[in-house]
Amino acid sequence: MALLVLTSIILVTLDLQGSAATKSLRSIFGAVFRPVESVARVVTRPATNAWYGITHYNDVTAENELLREKIAQQEGATVAAAASVRLSQELLALNGLPTLAGINSVSAQVIGDSPSNFVQSVEIDQGTESGIKVGMPVLNAAGLVGKVTQVFANRAVVMLITDPQYALSVKIINAPKTSVTTVPNQDPASTVTIVSVPVTIDPLITVPTVPATSNIAGFTPGSIVAPRTPIISSSLTIPPGSNVSVRETGILEGRGAGRVPTVRFVDAAQRFGVVQPGSPIVTAGGSLSLAPPDIVVGTVSRVKERLGTAGPLLEIDIVADLSNLSFVRILLYQPITERTAP
Amino acid sequence: MASRWTRLVLVSLILLGLQTTLLNDMRPFGVMIPVMLLFAVSAGTIYGSEIGAISGLIIGVMYDCVLSTPLGLASLVFGLAAYTAGLLPFFVREPTWWTRVITIGTVGALGEMAFPLAQSMVGFGGRFQPHVVAVVAFVVVAGMIVAPLLLPVCRWTLKESLVG
Repeated sequence: MALLVLTSIILVTLDLQGSAATKSLRSIFGAVFRPVESVARVVTRPATNAWYGITHYNDVTAENELLREKIAQQEGATVAAAASVRLSQELLALNGLPTLAGINSVSAQVIGDSPSNFVQSVEIDQGTESGIKVGMPVLNAAGLVGKVTQVFANRAVVMLITDPQYALSVKIINAPKTSVTTVPNQDPASTVTIVSVPVTIDPLITVPTVPATSNIAGFTPGSIVAPRTPIISSSLTIPPGSNVSVRETGILEGRGAGRVPTVRFVDAAQRFGVVQPGSPIVTAGGSLSLAPPDIVVGTVSRVKERLGTAGPLLEIDIVADLSNLSFVRILLYQPITERTAP
Repeated sequence: MASRWTRLVLVSLILLGLQTTLLNDMRPFGVMIPVMLLFAVSAGTIYGSEIGAISGLIIGVMYDCVLSTPLGLASLVFGLAAYTAGLLPFFVREPTWWTRVITIGTVGALGEMAFPLAQSMVGFGGRFQPHVVAVVAFVVVAGMIVAPLLLPVCRWTLKESLVG
């Protein structure tokens, strides 16, 4: 009994110290176990498929209908979004700022989940031979998925953003608060209306140019803003400079299976205003962050107000579907502080 | 004839294959059946604390190798769970098959609960959540269902041979 405890504690200590011996043990075991796992996967596939057929049939049917509808909606949105992204990248490149397009990446297939009820991670089929290192951000087509926590020659383990150990600095993009101020003019026939952004105020109407919508509040792809009627004889509109969305940083933290991640340390600054559900969340970047800026993470689903100076706690709807990961992209990105001279 | 420990490693490899594929995909109520832990506990209930602890250590190390938690953590938990299960004869004079089944379910659930606790103790906090209660309740039931299948496998795996 004592021997068991002692052996286990020694193993834990060695592994936490980053011992090469434990890494080698894992690596050798991985090489031995991989064929066994592959055979087991092939043999059990009919049973797994039958299980999914029994338990997920209705969900799949409903999801299929929903996806068809979403595809129809997003076909239009894609055109407008692509144009916006290209314009944004051109502007960033013009100003010498880093963009995601300039970072090399490696595509990988998800080959396994964590066989545990408490660890949120997946295994991918690319490793150090593809240039992957610990800490690199992992994305899928929708957005951020997690980060690499263990890497071997031909495989790596990715910690998902729902894992309680996961933390990352993020930005919340909040639309500035709407306010309408009407200043009566001397001439009763004409009034001056000062309209401050955003675009959803009463005297204005949003006219979409394409039948497209977006789930992200404050972002209507391919839309223009035009006055509803010329009934306001003289109006003064604040120039577009004030229409810029306000950003605030916070820390995103996973909370485990079945629970949405949260963002805390959000400073409720006056200019930032009240965080609106639906506000997009993107990575903050920076010299210490393991992810480059502006990777889409999700949207705010709920705002929990807290007493004192703690600031609000934001619950996040992740855009990436972590339950159905098949292919992911690993950005070969390392912050400046992690880079070593060749 | 292979020794009992060789057989244990080979059988555990197969069970680990099932754990990472079939059982990992088939999660009733969102909970995975921890067949590796239940197998270690079965070893304890059949062959006593000492054999159970060694079996738990071996099975745990193998399980650790596919997890991202520190190596040695599962072996500690599995070893302790199997050792605890091996204390059954102290409470039940002549254990029957159904007392073993109940023991496997109960001790398996305790071991599953101890796993996030052990993770918290080495600095991997945040995993001991209300979700653990649902997991434990499920593992009690699942353990009792799976135990009748695991018991003969475990008995054959760890039976004494001329070599072992």
